[in-house]
Amino acid sequence: MGQEPAIALRGVCKEYRREQIKIPVLTDLKLTVDEGEFLALMGPSGSGKTTLLNLLAGLDRPTTGEVVVHGQDLAQMSEGQIARWRSRNVGFIFQLYNLIPVLTAFENVEMPLLLTSLSKRQRRENVRTALRVVGLEGREDHFPRQLSGGQEQRVAIARAIVTDPYLLVADEPTGDLDRQSAEEILELMEQLHREFQKTIVMVTHDPIAARRASRLLKLDKGKLVGDVIQAQEVAS
Amino acid sequence: MKYLVYVFRNIRRNPVRTLLTVASISICLFLMMLLLSYLTINTEVAHSLSDYNRLITMSSQGFTQPVPIANVATVAAMEGIATVGELTPEDKEHRDKKAVSPFSWYGGRYKDDSMPGSQFGIDPETIFAIMVEMKLPPDQLKAFRDDKTGCVIGKKLAKDKNLKIGDPYPLKGTVYEFNLDLTIRGIYDAPENRDNRMCLYHWAYLDEGLKRDFQGRAAGNAGTIYFKCKDAAAMPGLIKKIDDSFRNSSTPTKTQTEEAFAQMFSEMIGDLQTLIVAVGMAVVVSLICVCGVAMAMSMRERTTEVAVLKAIGFGRGLVLALVLVEAVIVSTLGGVVGALGTKLLFDQFDLGSLVPGFLPFFYVPWTTALFGLGLAVLIGFVSGVLPAWLAAQTSVIQGLRKVV
Amino acid sequence: MIPIKYNIRNLRRRWVTTTLTIIGTGLVVASSCILFGMVEGLQQSLRVSGDPNDLMVLRKGSTNETSSYFDLSKVVELATIPGIARDEKGRPLCAGELVNIPVCERANGSRANLIIRGMDPISPALRPNFKIIEGRTIEPGKGECLVAKPISGRFKGTRLGETLKCGERESYRVVGVFTAGGGAAESEVWVDRNDLARNTQRTGFVSDVQLRAASAADRDAIQKTIQTGTQFNLLAMKESDYYADQQITGMVLLVIGSVIAVLLSIGAMFAAANTMFAAVKSRTREIGTLRALGFSRFDVLLCFLGESILLCSLGGLLGWLATLPMSALTFGTNDFNSFAEKTIQFRFGPLVFAVAFAMTMAMGVFGGLFPAIRAIRLDVIKALREV
Repeated sequence: MGQEPAIALRGVCKEYRREQIKIPVLTDLKLTVDEGEFLALMGPSGSGKTTLLNLLAGLDRPTTGEVVVHGQDLAQMSEGQIARWRSRNVGFIFQLYNLIPVLTAFENVEMPLLLTSLSKRQRRENVRTALRVVGLEGREDHFPRQLSGGQEQRVAIARAIVTDPYLLVADEPTGDLDRQSAEEILELMEQLHREFQKTIVMVTHDPIAARRASRLLKLDKGKLVGDVIQAQEVAS
Repeated sequence: MKYLVYVFRNIRRNPVRTLLTVASISICLFLMMLLLSYLTINTEVAHSLSDYNRLITMSSQGFTQPVPIANVATVAAMEGIATVGELTPEDKEHRDKKAVSPFSWYGGRYKDDSMPGSQFGIDPETIFAIMVEMKLPPDQLKAFRDDKTGCVIGKKLAKDKNLKIGDPYPLKGTVYEFNLDLTIRGIYDAPENRDNRMCLYHWAYLDEGLKRDFQGRAAGNAGTIYFKCKDAAAMPGLIKKIDDSFRNSSTPTKTQTEEAFAQMFSEMIGDLQTLIVAVGMAVVVSLICVCGVAMAMSMRERTTEVAVLKAIGFGRGLVLALVLVEAVIVSTLGGVVGALGTKLLFDQFDLGSLVPGFLPFFYVPWTTALFGLGLAVLIGFVSGVLPAWLAAQTSVIQGLRKVV
Repeated sequence: MIPIKYNIRNLRRRWVTTTLTIIGTGLVVASSCILFGMVEGLQQSLRVSGDPNDLMVLRKGSTNETSSYFDLSKVVELATIPGIARDEKGRPLCAGELVNIPVCERANGSRANLIIRGMDPISPALRPNFKIIEGRTIEPGKGECLVAKPISGRFKGTRLGETLKCGERESYRVVGVFTAGGGAAESEVWVDRNDLARNTQRTGFVSDVQLRAASAADRDAIQKTIQTGTQFNLLAMKESDYYADQQITGMVLLVIGSVIAVLLSIGAMFAAANTMFAAVKSRTREIGTLRALGFSRFDVLLCFLGESILLCSLGGLLGWLATLPMSALTFGTNDFNSFAEKTIQFRFGPLVFAVAFAMTMAMGVFGGLFPAIRAIRLDVIKALREV
């Protein structure tokens, strides 16, 4: 650990086909992210932010090039392998939380653990811990619709960290929240980065959110146009 | 098992849809149970008759053709037929008499019956030894034997027509010119899968009437001959011996087991059976479509959710299995209500009283009910395959994009 | 009103569920149509069987031919009653016939009673469009038989040139195949009356007499003579009435068909409702937009109800047309009146259409009503915000 970078992209190209026409989204991308970095990804719509995020998270494959995460070349893995890999190594946070409406907060957080061989008791402990980290003790039995947006996103974060993944990816995690809740969520992510040394990649449109990250990448038309290591702003 | 919470929550997610799907399956299965039970009962009942070692002799030209009453004695004289005493030891009086009886269809109408009922002219001294499963209290049996114009009716007939012992039971003949002025002397009780709507009267009463009032036209006809063998092994030999002995008479006979005789009746419905099976299959395919639609609609509404699950690391196989299990559970629910519910319903409610003359009894056999349940499971499985496959194929990226 | 084109486009857009729903409802409609096609076929066969001036003479108290019998001598007497129509050779159209229904084996090995009719030489003239389509007519006393076309091949030994055996004593060589305008005779085998009487020990008896009066007035007079006079003391029924009384089998089929139609319609109704509820749900925002554009609640109700009816109509049409090829099929089942095999020609007629139409409407209207009501009760503002 620590020797190799958390994420290494080499010559990554990604293009989509839409009715015979090739649309390049990412072109010849090169990127190295060290373990424990909190990366913010900014750029205008269509710049390839989400595509990059999907590649890192193993949801998508590059057209050409190499995506190595935690020493694994994702392009070499089969669909099934990559799904298993995701379940152990990646935690997802979405803009619209994407909680399962018919499951309680507890059950939502427990979902990724079902894929492990943990016993019911161990699962319960892990879920409780994750909910405590995000500050939602006592809300275990609430359904998503009984929670506020900020709380829903916390549940989603608990779900993302419950398996103690290597990498957290967040796609505009504050995009649908009011300022206050957004602040709290960013706080929480920062805490995860600080206290648990998680590697976090966050796509955002919000410059305030981006300022919380330890490193800021800017994408435009599929190319990296900015890469700044920034001193983290401490919440006032 | 740990995924079941999620599956059950999904089933409850859209209660209206689940309810409609379950209702659709149960209604259609209710119909299937009605139709299939009719077919299975026939076979099942015919099969159950083989335990009784009974044979039936009819005219080789069909059961509408007469069998001379003298044949009854010829049959009775043969080796291998049980005696009344062997079958019903309490009946001392007719102990040595052979268990042989004429069984002659009368087809009379009671009051304003639209359909002729099942009435049979029999020998009161032997019939209840032959039909051992039909129970008649000894005092009623004695009263019946002592009254030449007496008759015994089944408990369900008594219930349908509100008849009790001592009531007159006059019948207008359709086959015979002679009307029967019967008085009920007993009410028999037979198992549920036997005809509890028959009326049995003294064969001699009709015959004497025909001889007295109609110059003996159509008299002397035993209709068919029912008798009981000592054991099953003797039956094939006996069948041959009886038919051989009448082969060169003016009225050749055809003797067969009661099972084969009953089977013959159920075979008569012919193509209707094929049709019922065809309708059943069409209903199954239709239900597969209906359930498939419901499941596909559910899955489409959950596209994003499936994408999230897949992102979290749920593999294709697991997603496929979750959808299939959900589909199977929903349709099994329909099966439980439709198949087992129908069985319970007809255990309580006697359909036969609604259509007198057609269905002496009706029930849903366990085999049919379980078959229905099995069909429901199958329908769920097959209908779930396409939606499950589509869900498993869901592209995570496409699915997640839908929301943004 | 919202144009129907909108509905068609929507059905096309969700074509998978549309197709599956159409197949589902189509099969349901077809299942019921089959039974009603048989009912209609049976009714048709009984309708053509009875000429309005024909009388059927039975023993008093019997309800059909198989339980009727009286002396042959009465046939001769009956033929002398004035007012009976005559054929071109001057023979009175009065046929004494003997009926037997032995158990015979079908070609597939199952057993059924088959009507063997001992015919009078004049019998064919009393049947509508009696025609020998293969072979020739029988010669009396030679143990020959004519087989109705639907029966030929259905039972063992009923093809031209084969020998039909029933019971120990009866065997008849098939010398001809006939049709009788789709009437009741098309379920029968015809033999020489004397052959049959000899084989069944009924020499000197007939089961019934069929006769044709020269006019309706003659018919009523003849009927009166036969029934009231001491001379005959027999039952004379108008043939059409006789066949009307033979409807039990038709009733059975009608009941089975109705039960199937009603239950399956309800089942399909639920299925249609399911599809339409989903349609309303997935188009919530669209409904809001339509309302915002100024369409009334009633327009929206009509729109979804119309879509439901359109969807079910496609299924209904498919199911109805799917039974069209069945017209070529003949079904054989037990006649609950005579306990003999009755062949029924499936008839793709108005009854089948009526059933298909009624089922389609029931499914479309009741299946669409509640989803449509849900659609009009949507709050416009909320609906517009729905994702």
